[in-house]
Amino acid sequence: MEMTISPRKEHNSEGTGFLPRAEIVQDEHPLSLGKTSVWNQHFQESETVEQIDRDVKRTHPEMQFFNAGSSDALANQESLKRILTIFAKLNPGIRYVQGMNEVLAPLYYVFKNDPDQSNAAEAESDAFFCFVEVLSGFRDNFCKQLDNSVVGIRSTISRLSQLLKRHDEELWRHLEVVTKVNPQFYAFRWITLLLTQEFKFRDCIHLWDALLGDPEGPPDTLLRICCAMLILVRRRLLAGDFTANLKLLQNYPPTNIDHLIHIANKLRGLVPC
Amino acid sequence: MCPQGVRSNAGVRRLAFSLTRIRYVHKKFSQQYKATIGADFLTKEVLIEDRLVTLQIWDTAGQERFQSLGVAFYRGADCCVLVYDVNAKRSFNTLGTWHDEFINQAGPSDPNQFPFILVGNKVDLDSGSRRVVPEKKAKDWCVAKGNIPYFETSAKDDYNVDTAFLCIAKLALENEHDEDIYFHSVAEQATKTEEQTSGCAC
Repeated sequence: MEMTISPRKEHNSEGTGFLPRAEIVQDEHPLSLGKTSVWNQHFQESETVEQIDRDVKRTHPEMQFFNAGSSDALANQESLKRILTIFAKLNPGIRYVQGMNEVLAPLYYVFKNDPDQSNAAEAESDAFFCFVEVLSGFRDNFCKQLDNSVVGIRSTISRLSQLLKRHDEELWRHLEVVTKVNPQFYAFRWITLLLTQEFKFRDCIHLWDALLGDPEGPPDTLLRICCAMLILVRRRLLAGDFTANLKLLQNYPPTNIDHLIHIANKLRGLVPC
Repeated sequence: MCPQGVRSNAGVRRLAFSLTRIRYVHKKFSQQYKATIGADFLTKEVLIEDRLVTLQIWDTAGQERFQSLGVAFYRGADCCVLVYDVNAKRSFNTLGTWHDEFINQAGPSDPNQFPFILVGNKVDLDSGSRRVVPEKKAKDWCVAKGNIPYFETSAKDDYNVDTAFLCIAKLALENEHDEDIYFHSVAEQATKTEEQTSGCAC
């Protein structure tokens, strides 16, 4: 690295291997911050890889499958890392956003535990394909540049708010007007991580069957489920103040998933555009 | 005048955190704690000069992607606590950006007087052998930013965390007046009704 920026041109003519400074274009300088700079790209990539590494290590640390220290668990972690790294490289506008590991984990887990060994052997590529597919409906939520656009996370959250208002105006008023609980305070994580953090892993997989299999598509189904989650605890919310409500929604209580899906199904056809 | 949802005889102060968390409220520590997505909400009651103060704490996400979403959490805060890892140079180098971003988004009436606190965390790591940001460097930064109070802590060993929080609570209380004005300006009829029924004393 040091050799390539030597300014002493005469060394080159003497054939000592130094590169003349004049031949180094701006973007090849190691300190260049230019978008096309290979060095800048290199530094950004290693930062992303480090971040992915840190987050994969703390993906479901309570589960043997991901974190037993066994060779199988380590191999699973390596698979998650490769999938997230390749996704980040293929999507330079988004790269890796913290929490993507949590969206990937259930997909990989399901494929890897396929009773058919020949299917399980392809878990990494299958999970990658499905991860791209799932995120295709949600990727705008991860994009900072779209935060204030009609397709970004803020707009998605306000659609949830409208859905609640349309279906249960009393609850909506109490939450947003009386106790001033901005839906961003709780729904940001619900929506960007597709509810993976709100329920136990097994319950989440159960819920995802409904989320991913619904003919109305995952984005609208997700909003209906989120709205149903609010309605299910409406009595506690109506009795709560700002602090109590926010704590309840940031630590959602264990719930019967079938009942939740049942309530969400009743809201069908009401999702605002 | 009180912000929303206040119990009687207790002032509620809002704080915003950045970068990394101090496991203060739960009094527990896990090295494998999940990354913060958006912001985690916590409360903590602190007794200062015979007055019970409830701190509302926003532990905001550290990744740059989440920075622009801070406005909802920062606005109305009485104090901003910036936390960095003394073993990670990058976390120290980005403090300036977080500081400026907070001022930008929170929009305090007097940005030069708004209380910040800097906390250097994880001083316990390998008995300090992996430390890359010297204490003096951090203190110099604090002086340059207008004499921000500085604390070194270990959330894992529960070292100095209480002292830091007491200072945070005091600063937030001193800043109370500004926020009274702020809450007046955003108050709506609904909040007023609630105050009357809750018998808020502040």
